[in-house]
Amino acid sequence: MRVTLAMRPAARSFIPIEAEAIVPKNFLSGTDLSVWRGNRELRLDEVFSVFVEGSADRPEDVEVVISGDGTSRLKRVGEYMDGGKITVLGDIGMHCGNFMTGGTIEIHGNADGWLGREMAGGTILCRGDAADYCASGYRGGRKGMTGGTVEVFGRAGDFLAESIAGGTVIVHGDAGDMAGAEMHGGTLVVHADCSRPAANMKGGSCYVYGTAHGMLPTFKRIGTVQHEGRMLIHFIGDIANRGKGNLFVKDYRYLD
Amino acid sequence: MIVKDVVCPFCGCLCDDIEVEVEENRVVAVANACELGTKKLMGEKRMKNPILRDGGTWKDITYDEAIQYTADMLLSAERPLLYGWSGTHGEAQCVGVHMAELVRGVIDNTSSVCHGPSILAIQEVGHPGCTLGVVKNRADLVIYWGANPIDAHPRHLSRYTRYAEGFFLENAFRDRKVIVVDVRRTETANIADEFVQIKPGGDYAVLSALRAIVRGKTEMIPRTVAGVTREQLVRVVDLCKGAKFGAVYFGLGLTMTGGKYKNIRNAIELVSELSRHTKFTISAMRGHYNVYGSNEVNTWMTGYPFGIDFSRGIAFYNPGETTAVDILARKECDAALIVGSDPAAHFPRRCLEHLADIPVVQLDPYPNATTAFCNVQIPVAVTGIDAVGTAYRMDGVPIRTRRVLSTGYPSDEEVLIRMYALMQGAKA
Ligand code: SF4
Repeated sequence: MRVTLAMRPAARSFIPIEAEAIVPKNFLSGTDLSVWRGNRELRLDEVFSVFVEGSADRPEDVEVVISGDGTSRLKRVGEYMDGGKITVLGDIGMHCGNFMTGGTIEIHGNADGWLGREMAGGTILCRGDAADYCASGYRGGRKGMTGGTVEVFGRAGDFLAESIAGGTVIVHGDAGDMAGAEMHGGTLVVHADCSRPAANMKGGSCYVYGTAHGMLPTFKRIGTVQHEGRMLIHFIGDIANRGKGNLFVKDYRYLD
Repeated sequence: MIVKDVVCPFCGCLCDDIEVEVEENRVVAVANACELGTKKLMGEKRMKNPILRDGGTWKDITYDEAIQYTADMLLSAERPLLYGWSGTHGEAQCVGVHMAELVRGVIDNTSSVCHGPSILAIQEVGHPGCTLGVVKNRADLVIYWGANPIDAHPRHLSRYTRYAEGFFLENAFRDRKVIVVDVRRTETANIADEFVQIKPGGDYAVLSALRAIVRGKTEMIPRTVAGVTREQLVRVVDLCKGAKFGAVYFGLGLTMTGGKYKNIRNAIELVSELSRHTKFTISAMRGHYNVYGSNEVNTWMTGYPFGIDFSRGIAFYNPGETTAVDILARKECDAALIVGSDPAAHFPRRCLEHLADIPVVQLDPYPNATTAFCNVQIPVAVTGIDAVGTAYRMDGVPIRTRRVLSTGYPSDEEVLIRMYALMQGAKA
């Protein structure tokens, strides 16, 4: 089954729309769903032109395609998603794929903050850039992402994979400040540069294939390793936090 | 007439030993307060009555009209923002939360642009704090980190730290050491026993290094960290470990620089590490006299301290998304009620552009920078001068402010209660 949601041009274009109902599973029982614009509840078809082709009886066979102007205002799309596919032909708003446990979300544009927050399984592919707190935890929470994969082909903002405890996060461009802060498990790979990686880490592995700027002074240099054809410098840390995580960087600079 | 034990409604020290001389219902002299407090208590020229923007000019309107305007504005909005709250009393803040819930709006206070990061850090690792009285009587080491009390909290030093007597200190001035950590040599740095100058953006690295040194891992620390020599870091750790009771006070120099709440988290974790060796506490130098109260009121009513979004009928909290600066910059609200703060004086330009596009009502006794963005401004009594109410000191101690003058102005609470009643009527 393929569900196409084309956003209608809206008058009040700046108020965000919370659309946690957009999850493949929900379309198995029809399209009578609601979304919220600020404090107003709206029917799905007041915001989107809805087209359904084919049928399905399990979420794995549902693909939801979101398009149109203003998709960057849609928040919480794919929250608690457990199977099937969501494709966004454009940008997506905050909290896309929160708490996701299965299935795939593919975003052709950029993703706003908290992409895949506290995700436990499944796959998120972001073809553009991801804003701050990609694959992170929630405020005050101890564990962020615990499983699954997030792959960002552009750049990522600050606090990438904060508190990650499991799963894999791969960013092909640069990442911002504090990538992998409070990390205690899982794997974070940044293909280009980032600043202050793995601050306060307890466990897990963080790879920076570019330069780690503002490298923290509390990581202990162990030696060099070969990793997928690259020579990387291996550190253990964060010693300040009695951490035993692994940080691998191609190159680093202290703020001395 | 002299009024004693007046509470100064200016900064988070909330000094409660002020004397005010009143003649013909005017404050003519203030004793014991610092310059900032004196200026506030002496008062400025107030706005006389509510005003409504009418094209390019202002029109005088009645309180009834202004209150009705606000109620209608909030009821018709899809995502109203209720912002400010640090310059008013707790009772008014309570009404504000009820209003936000009723109209399903977002309520946020000024901590989202000052000590919000401190609260985020506390939510992660807790708050080993204590009251100011404990510090005054026991602390033999005080650290000011990214804070300049001589400028912002002038009597903090004389009432509680550098120049204060201490019950458990024989000669407080001699026995109490002060360390100042900052990116530039402030006035407070000049009265410190040890001044640590950090390169901008280097606080986090220095805090991490101190934690490692407290753990005995000195040998792994580079020769300098963000401009601070390893020798000085070791000296600071020795001073800390040698203290009987240490107290850290931090300011916006730590909360509002790169890494924000992670800086505070690191500072709290340093304090926890030091508490394995001696007694150590840490607290924020809260700015406005009742910004702490706003966090308290919000927390006991909604579970969250600031940035609370009621759009969906339940409280949702996510600073960075549900906080005023972010909402305005992203144009995510369609009306604003401002109480007890002056966002136009502090917010980035992008936020003000949106504020100019939406209806705005402000409750404030004085014309200020935000007035230029208002559709309606309602003058109210000043808490601590002509209105009474509860405020929370920077260490969380609630203090009831006093009234020294009687004017005809209604308090924030009275105005808000009337708005709330109108809105309840409309909803029912
Ligand atoms: S230190 Fe603060 S509370 Fe005390 S008098 Fe000065 S401004 Fe008022």
